[in-house]
This record gives sequence, structure tokens and C-alpha cells, in this order.
Amino acid sequence: MKETRTASQQKALGLFTEKLNGRLISHLNSCVHCGLCGESCQYFLATGDPRFIPGRKVDLISSIYRRYHTVTGRLIPKLTDARDLDEETIREMVDVIFGACTMCGRCSAHCSIGIDIPLLVRSARTMLSEMGLVPGGLQSTVDAAIRTGNNMAIPRNEFVDTILWLEEDLKMEVNDESAAIPLDQPGKRIMYTLNPREPKFFPLSISAMAKVFYAAGEDWTLSSNHYDVTNYAFYSGEDQLAAELTERMVAEMETLGAKMMVLAECGHGSRSHRWEGPEWIERSYPFEVKTAVELLAEYIRSGRIKVDPSKNKLPVTLHDPCNLVRLGGVIEEQRYILKHTVSNFIEMTPNRTNNYCCGGGGGQLSMSEYNDRRLKIGKLKADQIQRTGARIVATPCHNCIDQIMGLNQHYGLGVEVKTLGEIVADALVL
Amino acid sequence: MRIYQLIFLISFGICFLSCLYHFFRTLFLTRPREYAKARGKVLPAVVYSFTGAMSPAHKETAYLHLPTYVSGLVYHLGTFLSLILVFLFVFGFYPFKVWLVLFSAFLAVSFLAGLFILVKRIVKRGLRLLSNPDDYISNVLVTLLHGFVFVTLVWHPFVPVLLVWTSLLMFYIPLGKLKHMVYFFTSRIYLARFYGKRGVWPLENTEG
Repeated sequence: MKETRTASQQKALGLFTEKLNGRLISHLNSCVHCGLCGESCQYFLATGDPRFIPGRKVDLISSIYRRYHTVTGRLIPKLTDARDLDEETIREMVDVIFGACTMCGRCSAHCSIGIDIPLLVRSARTMLSEMGLVPGGLQSTVDAAIRTGNNMAIPRNEFVDTILWLEEDLKMEVNDESAAIPLDQPGKRIMYTLNPREPKFFPLSISAMAKVFYAAGEDWTLSSNHYDVTNYAFYSGEDQLAAELTERMVAEMETLGAKMMVLAECGHGSRSHRWEGPEWIERSYPFEVKTAVELLAEYIRSGRIKVDPSKNKLPVTLHDPCNLVRLGGVIEEQRYILKHTVSNFIEMTPNRTNNYCCGGGGGQLSMSEYNDRRLKIGKLKADQIQRTGARIVATPCHNCIDQIMGLNQHYGLGVEVKTLGEIVADALVL
Repeated sequence: MRIYQLIFLISFGICFLSCLYHFFRTLFLTRPREYAKARGKVLPAVVYSFTGAMSPAHKETAYLHLPTYVSGLVYHLGTFLSLILVFLFVFGFYPFKVWLVLFSAFLAVSFLAGLFILVKRIVKRGLRLLSNPDDYISNVLVTLLHGFVFVTLVWHPFVPVLLVWTSLLMFYIPLGKLKHMVYFFTSRIYLARFYGKRGVWPLENTEG
């Protein structure tokens, strides 16, 4: 092996070895290089660049595994193209693993073998993060969350002021002085989380959910200490930081004594807190976890809120966030909601678990160095939206909303992008 | 027992034990603990993983690439048939009459399927960039196995050559990509656990 490996490369390899378990070993050993996955990946479809074929991404990480963990790779590396973790490999990894993958998992669902490609991509990101090679924008998003408690670094007093202002608005809107947006109240049934983009840029989505909770007579609260549903350490590959952010949310749930954590409309946040969080902190949560989408569907199904679809007349299409749908199992609830709250719901094609990523996942929105690529691969989504003829795109994910708003501007789609909460709030019969 | 029979049995033993080790290590000895509360069931997802999820009705890599999908299917069936026939030959059993015709015909087709896959790997730029020497060696070893079994079916004295070739293949399996004969199963099981637990698989509504 080359003697030029630096201490950080050694550390990265050590961490990689430490993380090897049956699941990872299995997926690292499975690729047969059939290359058929290319056409399931929007990066390859949009650019035709063979470096972006998911199998190639798999090979980048598995070639390192082969080099250091297989007999053939150690003795005859050229036979299986087992690669050293050298500067050239690292450069290629940063560009492809961070800059050309949204970890949407579409390739995995269609892989001839059944390789969990996002798992491998994330393992590669973990190695790169150990070497301090997470792109600056993504790293600063994680750092802000660790330092300030939310990824947009919103000071607590600013957040509280925003909530108080929204509460006043809510009272006026529903014409009820007792209407409230409860903050830091212990012993409630629900602690509702937020994507920090909501208090910072989209306060109306908080108002919408508050209005729905008001209509449902829900027993709920927000936390001013730890409300951030996002966990960008999931995307940067930093398990320790991901665990720390999860622990904070669990601690807040325990402090407030809430029975259920409801995850705001955020794809990766929902996935991180519901599915990955318990694995990062290595224990099950002592409370129930539900996504806002499931809760909204429950309210409508049970008759707890009354909705009138004729209040939303414009044609609406739905974008399925990958982390919530293909990688999170919330597939039909959003359709149930839209069928009951809008008069003209049009599915885009393909949809559900087969849907294309919008291009904003994988932390892409925070990595400005890949902006042009992100907008280019979003063409597939823009075309999907355009074909529906819809005027409103509903999507239960703030990352997707940002990306689709960007596509809207870039490709001149002329659509409005909304959360499901906003659509339900507009359809409420109070 | 002749020397080529002995070599074959030794190579088979080594290959079998190695594959067994890979299988148990991956699926049992180093399986990660899972803490997230399940939303769906794993077992139906595992069944779906090996059935519906593999079918051209659901799998994009299958329905967008039907010739390759069919070639791959025939090729793998041909490999299983070849290995079964090699064992029969070792113990002196030779199919005859209608079986001889059927097996020979199928192996001729599977041999051509193997060649098709090999040529595609050489000709297509994206696939060529993805390939390493192991991909070509593995394909040649297996495709020629089909060819050699075909020859042996029609000309029994070819058995020694076939067994030496099969021994080479057996020694090679644990070293390269042919290990996917184990990891294909473990990966599909792990993927099914992932999707099943989250309530994604089995797909209930496949629209779109």
C-alpha cells in the first residue's frame, strides 16, 4: 500500500472499518457492474456522464473496501480495480459522492441486485467527513445546528417573537381570543417540530398547522429550545453529530413530557428522526413518532377536522419527497389528504416510490458549488410538473419546496408551491 | 476416483465453505441491531424482494432493458443447470433422449446469452468504464462453463476438461464478483428489511 496516506486518511479508513457490519459488507460486495441503474438516476439521465451511473458511485466506495478488506484487493488490486484511498480517489469521491447524489434511493429500488446505494454513499460521506472534506455550505449548516440549536442559527428571542406574532394573527384569522400557539408547555399530547426555514422564511406554514391544530382541538406545544426537525449531519455523514442532534430532540421531548413527536413537513428530517435517530443513539424512543402528513390524514379520516375541497379550486399536483415516501413509507396519506382538500388533484408521472427526486435532497441545496448541476438535474422534475398542467405543486418537504421554487424560477413553470398543511388549512371549515 | 474428479471435489468444498462463511458472517454474525420501531412487516417484504420487486412489472432496470434482463435470466438459469449437470457427470450420470436435447438446446442459448452480455460490456462505453478485469474473467469462466457442459452432453470424453475448468471456476468464485451468488441473497434480504420495516415493501399501490 502507498506510504503517502495522511493521518486523516488513516482515520477515515479506521472509521470505515469500524462501521463495517453485515448490512454494509453485503451491499459492498454485491455489485456486478451491470450498469443498468444509470437510467434510474437523474444525474445520469440529465448529463449522460458515465461517472454519475450509480454503479460507478458504488464502485468508488466498494473499491476502497476491496483494497483494504479482501484478499484479492490486497494482493492483486488491479484484478478487481481495488483503489487506494489516495488524493485522486478522494477528489473523485467529493465531486461524485457529495456533488452528484441526492441519496434519493431510486437506483436502489430498481437495482438488479438490490444494493442499498444511499447507504454506501453515506458511508463514503462519513469517510470524507472524517477527513474534513464536507463541502463548506453543508458543514456550516450542521455546525449552526450544533452551535445554536437550529440550522439557520435563529436566536431564541427572535423565534419566540415570530411565534407570538403568528399567534396574534391566528387569533384574528379564526376570530377567537383563546386561539393559541402554545410554546414550551409541558404535559401536552404532541410536541410539534419545525423546519427552521419556517420561522425564518415561511411563517405561513406554521400558521397553517396552528390553524389545523386549532380546528382539531389538539393538545400540542412547540418548543423554543429544540424545535429543529432537520438533521444535516445525516447528509454530511457525521454520525456523532447526528446522534447529538437526535439526543437533544429526545431530551426536549422528555423535558416537556409530550407523548408524541410530530415531525414537520421535512423529508430528511422525518427520516432522520423517525428511522435513523434511534440507530444513531442506539436505543428506541420512549414516545411515539409521527409525521405531520400522517397526522393530517388522521384528522380528516376521523372527522376531527372538516374540510371542503371546493375551497381549493386550482389544479394541484403532488411531488413525493424521497425520504418520506420511497425511504420512509408514507405513500398514500398525502394522496388521501389531497383527494379530500382540493377539487382537482393530478398525479405526476412517475409517482409514489417511483418518483424522481426534485434534485434538492442529499444536502444539495446547501452546497452552492453544485448549484448549476442541481438545477440541470431538476429539469426532469420541471418537465414532470409541466406535463400535469397543475398550477399548484404540493409537497410535504421544505427542501423540496426550495428546490421546486428554484426550478419554478429557472424553467418558468408558473406554479405555486405549498405544504400539505397550507392546503389543508385553506380547505378548513371552521 | 480420478485426479480431475478429486480436484473438482476439493475446489467445490473450498468454494462451498467459503460461500457459507460469507453468508453467515453477513447475515448473522455481524448483523446490526435495529432500534427504530417498525411501521411495516419484514417477512412479506423479503418475499416481495425475491418476487414482485424483481419482475419487469416493477423493476425499471428490467422493463427498460428487456433484452439484457432476459439474457441475464437465461444466463443464470444456464449456470444453475450447468452446475447440476457437472455434478451428474462426476458421478457418471448422463442425460439422454429428450433431456439431452432440451438441456443442450438451453445451454446453447444460455452460452449465447453470456456472449451477448460480454460483448455488451466490451462495446458500451459506460459499461466498459465500469468494468474491471474481474468482470471479464468471471464472464468468460461462466460462459465457457455453459459451452463445456454443452460439449460434454454430446461428447462424454470431454468430462476431464470440463471438471478442470469447473474447478478453476470454483477456486475463483470466492475471490471476485462471482461472490454475488451469496451476496445477491443477503443484499436483497437486507434491502427487504429496510423497506419492509418502513412499510414501503411490498408495494400496495404500484401506480406510476
